[in-house]
Amino acid sequence: MNFFIRLLVDFAYYLNSSVGYQRKRRLFYNILENDDYKYKKYFDVFMMILIFSSVSILIYEVKRDAHDYFQVFNNYIISLIFFIEYILRLWISSSVSKTIINQNEYSDLLGRKFNLAYVIKRVISDKLNYILSVKAIIDLLAIMPFFHELRLLRIFILFRVFKLFRYAKSFQTFSTVLATKKFEFFTLSMFAAIVIFVASVLVYVMEANNPNSPIDTLYEAFYWSIVTISTVGYGDVVAVSPEGQFVAVVVILSGISVLAFTTSLFVSAFTEKLEDIKESKVIQDISKMQRIYIICGYEEIAKEVAKKLIRADFNILVLDDSLERIEMAKKDGFMALQYNPGSVDSYKKLHIDMTTQVKAILCLREDDVENVYAALTIRSINKDIYILSLLMNRSNKNKLLHSGVNEILYDKEFVGLIAKEYIGQPVAFEAIHTLRSEHSTVKMDEILVTERIANSITYVKDLDNISYRIVLLGIHKRSSGRFYFNPINDTILEVGDYLLVIGNHMFIKEYIKYLSKKVRA
Amino acid sequence: MKMKKTNALIFGYNEYGFEIAKNILDEYNNVTIFKLDEVDINLNKQIDIKIENFDLSDDWNSLINEYDLEDSIVFCSLEDVAKNIFLTISLRSAFKDLFIVALTDNNESANKLRMAGASKVIPIVETTAHMITDMLKKPIITKVLHDILYEDSDLKIEQVKILNAKFFNGKYPADIEWSRDHGVLVVAVTHEDGSSEFIYSTKTKHHLIKNGDIFIVVGYEADIKEFEKLVGVKNEN
Repeated sequence: MNFFIRLLVDFAYYLNSSVGYQRKRRLFYNILENDDYKYKKYFDVFMMILIFSSVSILIYEVKRDAHDYFQVFNNYIISLIFFIEYILRLWISSSVSKTIINQNEYSDLLGRKFNLAYVIKRVISDKLNYILSVKAIIDLLAIMPFFHELRLLRIFILFRVFKLFRYAKSFQTFSTVLATKKFEFFTLSMFAAIVIFVASVLVYVMEANNPNSPIDTLYEAFYWSIVTISTVGYGDVVAVSPEGQFVAVVVILSGISVLAFTTSLFVSAFTEKLEDIKESKVIQDISKMQRIYIICGYEEIAKEVAKKLIRADFNILVLDDSLERIEMAKKDGFMALQYNPGSVDSYKKLHIDMTTQVKAILCLREDDVENVYAALTIRSINKDIYILSLLMNRSNKNKLLHSGVNEILYDKEFVGLIAKEYIGQPVAFEAIHTLRSEHSTVKMDEILVTERIANSITYVKDLDNISYRIVLLGIHKRSSGRFYFNPINDTILEVGDYLLVIGNHMFIKEYIKYLSKKVRA
Repeated sequence: MKMKKTNALIFGYNEYGFEIAKNILDEYNNVTIFKLDEVDINLNKQIDIKIENFDLSDDWNSLINEYDLEDSIVFCSLEDVAKNIFLTISLRSAFKDLFIVALTDNNESANKLRMAGASKVIPIVETTAHMITDMLKKPIITKVLHDILYEDSDLKIEQVKILNAKFFNGKYPADIEWSRDHGVLVVAVTHEDGSSEFIYSTKTKHHLIKNGDIFIVVGYEADIKEFEKLVGVKNEN
């Protein structure tokens, strides 16, 4: 026995440390259960297609003879795929090896004997928990058509439709929302069940012996109760005696209240969860985006920045802990979440990779304390991400720098500099301002020297910018990190350099095309 | 209007007022900050600036007695928007030719300030937001321009008034290779009517260089000086 236990424990450790086994397990977990896994949606769509094909074949078969291929496809191939899926889900639902290892470590720690019975009980209990879950039962029923010789089991194909709940996110949301009112729905169901039961028995007692009444059996009485309480009232089965009609009145009144209560339960469940649903939608959308700009705080400057970034087709997300400001951001058409920018949890909940998906974080609260706090939080999560922050009071500049902000913008100083430049060079200032304005057709732009450009153009003299009516202000060299104004003709262009140009935006576009197309003579 | 004045009068005892004062201190003989009812705050005391009190009544006698308003520029930087607009309209109604630069938070009050008679309005929120988006969209050009415009860089942007148009011998601005011939770049030309046009715009392309044109020139200080000697003078108006 000890040898067997040792073998079992060793095998569990082997599986737990096996890279190949764990990789496969993780792959199946991602495909079947992980909504953030990018390939899961393809699997979900594939399964949905199988479900719809299966139901379509069932409908087709009602009046016509389906080809044998369809029968084989429906009864064997689809069922087999569903069976494999069921087994895989059962496998990943709990880890047997981990249960064994945990028990072994527990026994070692307390100096007790390894309890195999407990492990077996635990493993069975874990697996049974899964097998008896609603989703697993539906999965199992969906495999039943495999035994197509049992004609009745064919109807289980319809259970495949219920499997859609697994693959369509909106169904899951629907059931999650309704689950929040589980108790209310249960109470309502109990009330309806009691009314139906009492009404069925009463009407049966009062009508069954009446030769004029269509209600002869308890089943007919039950059918009548359901049709009446639902306020549908087909009229095929009716109570004819005054006592039966009195019962009908009570059932109809109860039916109205049951319907009204049910409707209000649906409405309140969705109203209460509406914000959560919207929030998960925003998180879902954000998690798929790249080059995201997160704006922390939504006050006056942040509003303007958000508007300008959206106009430039940037992906932005606004975070603010104030409900009022978040509502304002949503009203202005931005993706916004009422999350505290100073909380690590806020960024975890976003399900995004800060390094690859986030381009920059802008701390734009008009409050230095909040900006310092947010910057420190962000820096504690990610050391490299670019953070830009507003500074409201010069005395807090060092604090912001210490909190890890890359760039600080102190609006008061900026205004002072503008005033100085304006009074010194008003015409030049206005001219440059016009060139930089969003509405000007003339733009200042930076053109990245790509490998293609560098391969075809070696020297500045070959740039030919004047033909495109473009002023070459200078070159920013990647190698030195410096800007070279009005570079000499023999300056060599290298990949990663930037050409700083001024020109009509249409001509700049054409010029970029020209640079990229040009082939070395 | 002549921009280079002797006095700079800054209305607004706040960080904006002090930052303006600090930056323009070297440009004026006299820089004064006027305090309305602002409480004393911990402002940058490294600079020595005269501080006086004022109120929003229409009594400007003390101001007239102390300063030559013809030779003054005024900055209205009160943090209370309504008071700032009121101050601007008061100054404009009292002094028709006074050059008033007004600060404001948003575009709505910027329009009101223009209507109140401000000669130049700096919308703080809009300008700051513009700067932030530029830093994100075009970081390199923003940095270069910031250095040229606002920092003590060797590169300068100057406006040069043409007084010697004969030098160009009837050429159009776009036909001249400025960088090769003069070591500077002419990015825009301001015509007599005050409108600025990009050097390669269609209008400038057909505009013969005349005396009175103002060229917006980017270049190293020495090159710009050489250029000024050839064609005119640094325009400070």
